[in-house]
Amino acid sequence: MLTEELQNSACALGETLRASPSVQAYLKAQADCAADPEAADLDNRLLAVYKELLGRQQRGEALQRSEIDAFNALKNQVRQHPLIRERDATLEMVKINFRDSAENLNFPLGEEFAALAVTTIP
Amino acid sequence: MTLQTPIVTNSELKTSADHAARELGDLLLHTPEYTAFLKALNVLYSNPTAQKISAEIRSHKNALRWPAGEVSEHEVALARLETELEALPVFQDYHLAEAAVCRMFAEVDTIISKAAGVPFAANAKRSGCGCGG
Repeated sequence: MLTEELQNSACALGETLRASPSVQAYLKAQADCAADPEAADLDNRLLAVYKELLGRQQRGEALQRSEIDAFNALKNQVRQHPLIRERDATLEMVKINFRDSAENLNFPLGEEFAALAVTTIP
Repeated sequence: MTLQTPIVTNSELKTSADHAARELGDLLLHTPEYTAFLKALNVLYSNPTAQKISAEIRSHKNALRWPAGEVSEHEVALARLETELEALPVFQDYHLAEAAVCRMFAEVDTIISKAAGVPFAANAKRSGCGCGG
């Protein structure tokens, strides 16, 4: 259980990041994508195909070359959509911003916060 | 007379984020979980058996990176050494301490991400360079 001080500090960092231009631009781009039927459909289709192929591969099934080519073609089509391209570009800016903040977080710790936060140890 | 909306500049936001991140790092550093983790790490690093096994592991990993001899021999040796290392009580203590820190950091990340509106750690993580570093 985190102390109240830790919770407040984590929340303060999150709120400061949310106010940053990169996060604001990304959230807007994300909302624009979700509101556009064509972009949303492309996103959903790509995710569905990815999950299906990954699931089959994880079950040991060998995928056909044509299936991989079709997936890559869909991925390219998705990436070319202007709203999705904008969302991806703004996300890259968010990543730069977040990595920069994470460096400040890592400094007192001497370890990479983000790497430990996403590590699952049984 | 007109009221002006307070304007926060990008550089003020950056300073504010830097400050918030540094403050959070300082708080995490002084938690019992992180203190125990650093202590366990220190004990592990100063344990002669762990040091010896780690040096052998590095040597086999280097040999696999630039294969000169029998690859399978190095792979077998690596698996044996890693099992030996994991069986050491100092390593198990370290592993438990690391798991506690990971759980705490994941909780902190959930709070940051919720407030930011975007997953924090997943997007802040340094990407691998493919060189094992």
